[in-house]
Amino acid sequence: MDAKNPLNAGPSAVTWNFKLLAQHELGGFGGMGEGMSITIAKDGRRIMWLAHESAPKNFTGVDVSDPRNPRVVVQTDLPKPYMRSNSLECSANGIMAVAYQTQKVGQQPAGMELFDVSVPENPKSIAFFDTSGAHSRGVHQLWFCDGDYVHMASGAPDFEPTHPNDDQFYRCIDVRNPSKPVEVGRWWLPGTKRGDNVVPPPRHPLDKGYRAHNTNVYPQKGDRLYLTYIDGGMFVMDISDKSKPQVVTHWTNSPPYTGFMHTALPLFGRDLMIVTDESTENNAEDWPKLIWVLDARDEKHLVSIATCPMPPVEAFKDRGGRFGAHNIHENVPLPTSWNSEDIVLGTFFNGGMRAYDISNPYAPKEVGAFVPPAPKGANPGAIQLNDVFVDERQIVYTVDRHSGGLYILETGF
Amino acid sequence: MNELFRSAAQGRFGRKVKHERGAKIPVTLLTGFLGAGKTTLLKHFLSTPEGAGTAVVVNEFGAVGIDDALLRTSSDETVLLGNGCVCCTTRTDLQNALRSLVIERDRGVIPDFRRVVIETSGLADPGPILQTFATDRALGDLFHVELMAVVVDAATGLATLDRAPEARKQVILGDLLIISKADLCDAKALAAMEQRIRALNSRAAIVTAQHGVIDPQRLLESTVERTAFVAEAEHSDLVRSFVVADDEPIRWPIFARTMETLAALRGPDLLRVKGFLDVEGCTGPVLVQFVQHLAHPPVELTAWPDGKRGSRLVFITRNLPEAQVRGLFAAVKALGG
Repeated sequence: MDAKNPLNAGPSAVTWNFKLLAQHELGGFGGMGEGMSITIAKDGRRIMWLAHESAPKNFTGVDVSDPRNPRVVVQTDLPKPYMRSNSLECSANGIMAVAYQTQKVGQQPAGMELFDVSVPENPKSIAFFDTSGAHSRGVHQLWFCDGDYVHMASGAPDFEPTHPNDDQFYRCIDVRNPSKPVEVGRWWLPGTKRGDNVVPPPRHPLDKGYRAHNTNVYPQKGDRLYLTYIDGGMFVMDISDKSKPQVVTHWTNSPPYTGFMHTALPLFGRDLMIVTDESTENNAEDWPKLIWVLDARDEKHLVSIATCPMPPVEAFKDRGGRFGAHNIHENVPLPTSWNSEDIVLGTFFNGGMRAYDISNPYAPKEVGAFVPPAPKGANPGAIQLNDVFVDERQIVYTVDRHSGGLYILETGF
Repeated sequence: MNELFRSAAQGRFGRKVKHERGAKIPVTLLTGFLGAGKTTLLKHFLSTPEGAGTAVVVNEFGAVGIDDALLRTSSDETVLLGNGCVCCTTRTDLQNALRSLVIERDRGVIPDFRRVVIETSGLADPGPILQTFATDRALGDLFHVELMAVVVDAATGLATLDRAPEARKQVILGDLLIISKADLCDAKALAAMEQRIRALNSRAAIVTAQHGVIDPQRLLESTVERTAFVAEAEHSDLVRSFVVADDEPIRWPIFARTMETLAALRGPDLLRVKGFLDVEGCTGPVLVQFVQHLAHPPVELTAWPDGKRGSRLVFITRNLPEAQVRGLFAAVKALGG
């Protein structure tokens, strides 16, 4: 950090309009991914399920009934050191889907596993859906709220990409019979599969790939899939026929921005959409990575009307690790999730977690910030907040990517 | 936003907030007569963890004691204190100082700050400073006066209060009264001082500073709103305070019309009006605040404090009796009914 920079004269940790209730390092395995989901156990306990960013741990269940006193109830291991679970989601009927991705194509196991988590101490595997293959690294991210379908970003044994970075695409898996998951539909960006009758897309300078990332589906508009495609921007898809997803709209900011579109969150009540980038480079080399506000009155003509203001890059770029947007709270359509169309909460790696008031969507305003000190054993030397989830009590949970584990906060705005 | 992008969750007064200040930057106004010990208190506050991330605006010439701890930067007026706090010694006016703090922060010239303390000149009438936040919409949107703290000197304060009407006004309007230099006088003098300021202002919290030190948390948050409002006896200078309470919801146009009339006719005599309203059609309490003829934009909270509904409005007025205010409310209500 540049000691002469006046911006670094002050304390680097900030807690504004949040109150930290607890931090849990999860038994020394506090490097967390982007899967956060809450179930209520039969005995009433509130369990936060967390995906780990990398091996050796698979997922951890934390009893957060008392947010001031979180307790780990279960922590599971991955069978192979080259696997990462990264993403998970629970449905209202107590089934959890976990994504398994491998470091290299061809490694096994890779795919998606369903667990019965009704007894939190003892998650029981119901089924494993194999997506490994010669050109597949398995599943990176999944969405599973209705208990019927898993929407995921995955490779497949029968999919050979035209470029090795384009291996994961959208797949819809019917799990209505959870012991026998079946694929019912898929879509990839034309040109990314070998044999497509379309020219492959041009590579971006950072070349993060034309791959699916988030695959959000909401009951308010159940025939729509909000699909981000990393360097390919974002697609609103018509999935009224799940076997034949159709593009409704494509929106992108790159070029001139540097790709890696991450999440698209529709705000149905307000005809708005929130879209995030992910920062993937250290020292803000891919700055600016932003949260975008889109006018979505006409879903076929999305218009960017604002971005959420970021703190000065000069104050953060040299702190260590990444600085920029990543995950946001996604208004998960479950009773255990907060649902707000006025406040957006997002994580920004060393920029911490920030809340924005978008009452006036043309001028989002920061209304809260949480930048904790570097946690113990933080390799990058700074906090790297990775994901955020808000429960229906408006308790905020955020996780560190490397070692800090889980932070639980109360809002003050 | 008219009907464009309307949010069903918002009420008549916009997004409902958990606390009155919402997401505005909290401001602590530190007043008190010359030599009362404001700077000593402030220096101690800035040295505590609670004081980190504070921008200080010194609203007077020749402030002593702070400058030696300053580290000058490029700007003439903005300086960085040793612990990363920002200090802005105003040579122009308060509005410019506050605006430049925000602009310089956003431009990345000075560190992020999360709180402002304005230390006023000993002679300052706090009224115009409070008014600044109501009249300047840009500032009012960014800052919220969270707390007005008044430092009174236990040793010489009684004489000052007898002599100077400005000192009495500061005490009357304060949310937190800090008796300083308690270590320099005996228990009897301290009790006399407490009695005197309690007579002037029964709403405020009173704390005693030993060697210029109080719990730093006290300077951050007002506890007045959470305690019951208590009407008080008549002050000197024809200043009095009283509470208008009503268990029945009020229609917003009736309240607005009443206050417009009061402000138009007796604006200069409305020293401060502040409280919760139970407005028809709103689920949470609506916070209103007036300083003389100026109104702050009303804000609706998400929940009632202690779960108790009902309007409670504190008036601090000059030569404006309670009966007249109550009469006006009743008359407008009858007309509007």
